[in-house]
Amino acid sequence: MSEERVLEALRALAANDCEREAPPAVEARLLHKFRARHSSRKWRWAGIAAIAAGSVLAVSLSMNHVTKPEVSVPAPVMPVPLPAAPVAEAEVPAVRKVVRKMARPQAHEVVTEFFPLIDSAPPFERGQMLRVQLPAAAMRTVGLPVREDHLADPIQADVLVGEEGMPRAIRFVRFDVQ
Amino acid sequence: MLSDDELLRGAREGDEAAFTALYRRRQGAVYRFALHMSGDAAISEDVTQEVFLALLEGGGRFDPSRGSLLSFLYGIARNLLVRRLGAKQPKEYTEEPAADDDVLEDLTRRETIEAVRSAVLSLPAQYREAVVLCDLESASYEDAAAALECPVGTVRSRLSRGRGMLAQKLAAKAVRSLS
Repeated sequence: MSEERVLEALRALAANDCEREAPPAVEARLLHKFRARHSSRKWRWAGIAAIAAGSVLAVSLSMNHVTKPEVSVPAPVMPVPLPAAPVAEAEVPAVRKVVRKMARPQAHEVVTEFFPLIDSAPPFERGQMLRVQLPAAAMRTVGLPVREDHLADPIQADVLVGEEGMPRAIRFVRFDVQ
Repeated sequence: MLSDDELLRGAREGDEAAFTALYRRRQGAVYRFALHMSGDAAISEDVTQEVFLALLEGGGRFDPSRGSLLSFLYGIARNLLVRRLGAKQPKEYTEEPAADDDVLEDLTRRETIEAVRSAVLSLPAQYREAVVLCDLESASYEDAAAALECPVGTVRSRLSRGRGMLAQKLAAKAVRSLS
């Protein structure tokens, strides 16, 4: 049999089968898995993001509370007409800023590897790293072990955010005091 | 119309419509490749599903500089089929006749088609995959080479050898049916 006849026979088979497709059940199963996969990923990040946002807010509120001294606001004064003669400006004593240096032990930063928050992200080109504070329970979301009695302990973490705004990866930070 | 690469990017970012469009565009080719390689509709169904699941999980490994997305999908399907079938020869697959076909005319055509299908399934795997990709699925030599992870020259030689073997098998079948 010539090669041309073989090709003709193969073309007939190809034409006969050209509309064969996977049954619709395959698409339904895949979509189910796709949704489960992406919703769990969204929730996983949403959980971390919510905790991180809460922590940042709590930290910034407490910082405001600590650093801003209470100021007594004087009662409003009615404007008084200025005297015609020039008045020498009173000298205001310079306020000296006193900075207290505290002897602090050197803290050495130990970090874990980065754990991806998205399984199949586009290649990372640019972005930024944000330092946030989270409860230690967040470490469990990436499979790191945390003892039950330490779940609420605060822990620092670095979140790598891509330029498109998606959090790509997270690593946890520990400070070893030397 | 969005390219395969654009749809894949969307799917990986969680865009369900992009994933659905990509699946609908490429599932037929993957399913037919599995069917012509295995001769088994159930295996082909499973392989198609696993190929697209693997794409969701490992789509990041796709490198457009090494071939088209379709050849990447064929490559995944091929690996899954090798795992499923191993050294087993695929079973013969016969299509169910449609009820409204003209019986006599259809019989000859169907006999020819089933003879070719059976001959393709009886080829050794390395020749079968070249024939299925290039002759049945009209893949380019480059795409077939990317899917089969071999040079284009090897695809050409396997295809030529595969066609030669098919010619012998079909001729033998014709002689048997005449006698």
